[in-house]
Amino acid sequence: MKVLVPLFAARWRGLALALLLAATTLAAGVALLGVSGWFLTGAAITTAAASFNLFGPSSMVRGFSFLRIASRYGERITGHATTLAILSDLRVWLFGRLIPLVPFKGQDERTGDFVSRLTGDVETLDLVFLQVIAPLATALFAALGLGLFLWFVMPTAMPVALVGLGVSAIGAPLLLALSGRRSGAAVIRAMSDMRIAALDGVDGQADLVALGAVPLSRQAFGAAAADVRVARLKQARGVALGAGAAQFGAGLTVIGVLWTGLQAIETGDIGGPLMVGALLAVMAAFEVTGPILRGAGRIGQSMAAARRMQAISGAEPAIRDPARPIALPPGGVLELEGVRFGYSAARPVLAGINLRLGEGERIALVGGSGSGKSTLLGLLLRLSDVDAGSIRLAGLDIRDIRLVDLRSRIALLSQDAPVFIGTVRDNLLIGDPAADDATLHAALRRARLDDFVRGLPEGLDSWLGESGATLSAGQARRLCLARTLLAPAEILLLDEPTAGLDRDTEAAFLADLVTATAGRAVILATHAALPDGAVDRVYRFEAGRLAPG
Amino acid sequence: MSSVEHDPGRVTTRLSKADMAWLRARGRVGRRWLSVAIMAPLVSGCLTVAQAFLLATILQRAIVEHVPSREQVPAILGLVGFVLLRALLAWTGERAGSQAAETIKLAVRHDLFAALMARRPAWMREKTSGVLTNQIVDQVEALDAYFARFLPAMIAAAFLPIAFAVILMPVDLVVGALFLITAPLIPVFMALAGWGAESASRRHMTALSRLSGLFADRLRGLLVLKLFGRAEDEVARVREASDEVADRTLSVLKIAFLSSAVLEFFAALGVAGVALYVGLTYLGLIDLHPGTLTLQAGLFCLFMAPEIYLPLRTLAAHYHDRAAAKAAVADMSAVFEGLPDVVDGAQAASRPATVRRGAIAVDVSDLVVMAPGRGPVLEGAAIHAAAGEHVALLGPSGIGKSTLIDVLARFRDWSGRVELDGEDLAAIDETALRADIAVLNQRPRLFHGTIASNIRLGRLDASDEDVRRAAERACVTDFADALPDGLATTIGERGRGVSGGEAQRIALARIFLRDPGLILLDEPTAHLDSATETRIVDAILDFAVGRSLIIATHSVAVANRMDRIYRIAGGQILPVPHRPTSRLPNLPKLGAGDAP
Repeated sequence: MKVLVPLFAARWRGLALALLLAATTLAAGVALLGVSGWFLTGAAITTAAASFNLFGPSSMVRGFSFLRIASRYGERITGHATTLAILSDLRVWLFGRLIPLVPFKGQDERTGDFVSRLTGDVETLDLVFLQVIAPLATALFAALGLGLFLWFVMPTAMPVALVGLGVSAIGAPLLLALSGRRSGAAVIRAMSDMRIAALDGVDGQADLVALGAVPLSRQAFGAAAADVRVARLKQARGVALGAGAAQFGAGLTVIGVLWTGLQAIETGDIGGPLMVGALLAVMAAFEVTGPILRGAGRIGQSMAAARRMQAISGAEPAIRDPARPIALPPGGVLELEGVRFGYSAARPVLAGINLRLGEGERIALVGGSGSGKSTLLGLLLRLSDVDAGSIRLAGLDIRDIRLVDLRSRIALLSQDAPVFIGTVRDNLLIGDPAADDATLHAALRRARLDDFVRGLPEGLDSWLGESGATLSAGQARRLCLARTLLAPAEILLLDEPTAGLDRDTEAAFLADLVTATAGRAVILATHAALPDGAVDRVYRFEAGRLAPG
Repeated sequence: MSSVEHDPGRVTTRLSKADMAWLRARGRVGRRWLSVAIMAPLVSGCLTVAQAFLLATILQRAIVEHVPSREQVPAILGLVGFVLLRALLAWTGERAGSQAAETIKLAVRHDLFAALMARRPAWMREKTSGVLTNQIVDQVEALDAYFARFLPAMIAAAFLPIAFAVILMPVDLVVGALFLITAPLIPVFMALAGWGAESASRRHMTALSRLSGLFADRLRGLLVLKLFGRAEDEVARVREASDEVADRTLSVLKIAFLSSAVLEFFAALGVAGVALYVGLTYLGLIDLHPGTLTLQAGLFCLFMAPEIYLPLRTLAAHYHDRAAAKAAVADMSAVFEGLPDVVDGAQAASRPATVRRGAIAVDVSDLVVMAPGRGPVLEGAAIHAAAGEHVALLGPSGIGKSTLIDVLARFRDWSGRVELDGEDLAAIDETALRADIAVLNQRPRLFHGTIASNIRLGRLDASDEDVRRAAERACVTDFADALPDGLATTIGERGRGVSGGEAQRIALARIFLRDPGLILLDEPTAHLDSATETRIVDAILDFAVGRSLIIATHSVAVANRMDRIYRIAGGQILPVPHRPTSRLPNLPKLGAGDAP
């Protein structure tokens, strides 16, 4: 729950107001019923109707009614508004936390799991204030107020009422929460697995259909959904037990108070009206246990969610900014010296790379798929750090300059560059948020996509689905290329920029490369046939080293 | 909201009768548990009356008749019995409610997932996977409270207040009448508030659904955003989307809580009214009660006052559950473009019948395919491939090659004549069709698991040996053998850790495990260098002996090795003059033009 503390602290005003209103609501309800019982009984047994003080009780009854109505509505709105604001804060915090953590070290952290964390886990945390903290605080307040009141009017009933309230409002929920911890975590896990199973089916539907594997995926999803059912039922058992226990505890306490009250009447310690009033007040106070118990049954789920968030907040970024960054001087000579790198020690991908890229120079890296081209480009942007050797930009080791500076100087078109949900314009503005329409069209033209975009009914404002699936693969690729060309970087890294383009377009694009990238240095990783003059030099990857192509 | 938020929800309407009927029909799978959940509060309500009456009696005897407490013990034990019984009923009701809800949700999820998988893949591609997943996972969850709590609460609220009021009539006519009149009034006010909450809730669900899509999308592209230095700006967008969810939720709640305020008003008024009326009657200031009103009767009325409104209050607490469920159903209906039929989920996962038909002839004429927002992609196109023929489709990207492959794979809708071996493609049984044709997408999806398990999807009972051989043929072993775990290497969701070309080769290896009569390949060599390309095409041609093959490609070298070449232009499929060379021995020379 540690993640929630600063978030709650930031919104303490709203939370405090919600608590105050909740306490007022309860107090008004207790007072209303108590005064009613006292007044009614008093009136029934009075022998002097004329002298009975009618004004006090009747105005109190009306006053408490209206106070309760107003504070109830206020409490619900305030509590929910604050909770929703906190959840929003939490999402933003979580998203922000993830930024430094990409690229992830392993690939175990699966996308579906993250989506689950960001939406599902955040949602489950709404219980924490509304169903746990607020009712608990209110219950404490009720215990305090009721205890004080009974101390004065019926001291013998005080321990009974306090023990009863304590057991049903704090003890039973605590037990439930402890037993619910495991079931809550199980529910979250099962939901997350089901979400992944659903994503697998949805994203991979075409492949599954083609392979006739739809029954298989339905089976897998069905099993995941059945697991969710089992986990939720287990959790519901706790909640049901809570509901039963609350009823039982409240009922027994009222009976206990009644019993002590009957004896107090016999001994003459208390009058009938006051005893009935106290009894009704105790009944009314138990209103608070319902929400606590409901919350306690599910708190395990919230705690598991909070723990997972905590895990994210504690994760270490794989790549860090230098402690004492050196300002990056202008100029963009890129030098690699003895660069070695491997994902596992046994199998180095790069085994001593030496390379120099002068300003405005264009070079091509060729080599089979998986020969290390993409890995090398990633190293230039510090997606990983070299195992040995050094990479220098403008004479500085890239590990000594700020990542922001490095990445504003070098832009990458990666092989799996995504098209984002949004319009064509939204996608392009990622490359350069300040670009005007003319600039965007120019970039599209250079990527040979302008005619297509201009032909769309809504032009730059046309909507693109997830992964740009409404574009053909080649068009999506060209859109990503246009985005990269828009970036004001001096060095462009293009990883297979022409994959998915047909031969003619590819040849035309490569021929255009000189003008499209005029004034910028380019490293082109490709296996396309390069026209004369497209690049200054060609290197070929051979067993982790570069050879002149 | 920013321009990035697409809002289809703004044009959708309220929940239709058919959708509501669907919800009710779906509820039937849990009806046994549901009836227990509904009965429990009703029985408990009857016990409440008895309990209140007993309590009033005890107090009457103690305060008015001065009966010693010892003599009250049996009555008090009776109270304990009532308390125990009601607690048991509360427990039973809760359990039964969740049993019903979980059973129903499971059935709905089954239906939705099956319906999704039965869709044409082209339809799926237009949708956001996050939104679809959100429907199955989260929107269905919105049905939980509807069945588990709202329905039982609604029935209890419909019966108990009136029953209580009628029971109170003989005790005091005025109190009974007061309750009888106010109790039905409350649902009217609540319904008024509920209507508002429902339309507000509708907007909220759409926002939530979109938010989920946005998160998934931005997360997947987080690295790219970060490299462009735009990740921090996306935080603002996430904030914007999230705040919108908060706003929309609150606007639902503001209205939903109005109904609970109405209720609180009546409940407080009921208690205050009974107390004042009974008190004033005792004092003789009001004289509407015939004869004398005992303390027992007065207290019984007072005890019952909050109870009368309790079922309604419970209902109010769950009223927005109904709105949320209805909104969820409407959203599902909109996203899925119609809700799935309520069917038995018992369709057996039958293995495809291995009806081997040999090479399949393809005959297409008058083919028209429309792309949403782009008009016709193919218009009156025709193509013929004899059984066993190998055909290449050439043309610039976006011209319709993938569209044709999609049609032949029955991945999208078309009009015109498409026949496989003279049989209408639309009429062929799904299982048989999938056994007969093999398709390679441009963007194959790899599932979380090992490379071998991904390949084995091609044929589940394939031996390790078969998988290995298929991997070798598709040049998967080129990169897999260099990995420490070889084919047993785990690869991530969406094939993270595997390059585009590698993913395609894994997908190709799947096909090599199958035994299709028609092979449809969309750009099988797009990401490959020309040496690997040549080897892959060798393997494909080797595998395609005795089978029909249609291959969409950019590569003239690849096309040249087919029996026949077609070019797509202007919505037409045009034959390209071509002298088949694929079976000539001097293969390497053909790829030579591609060498850098």
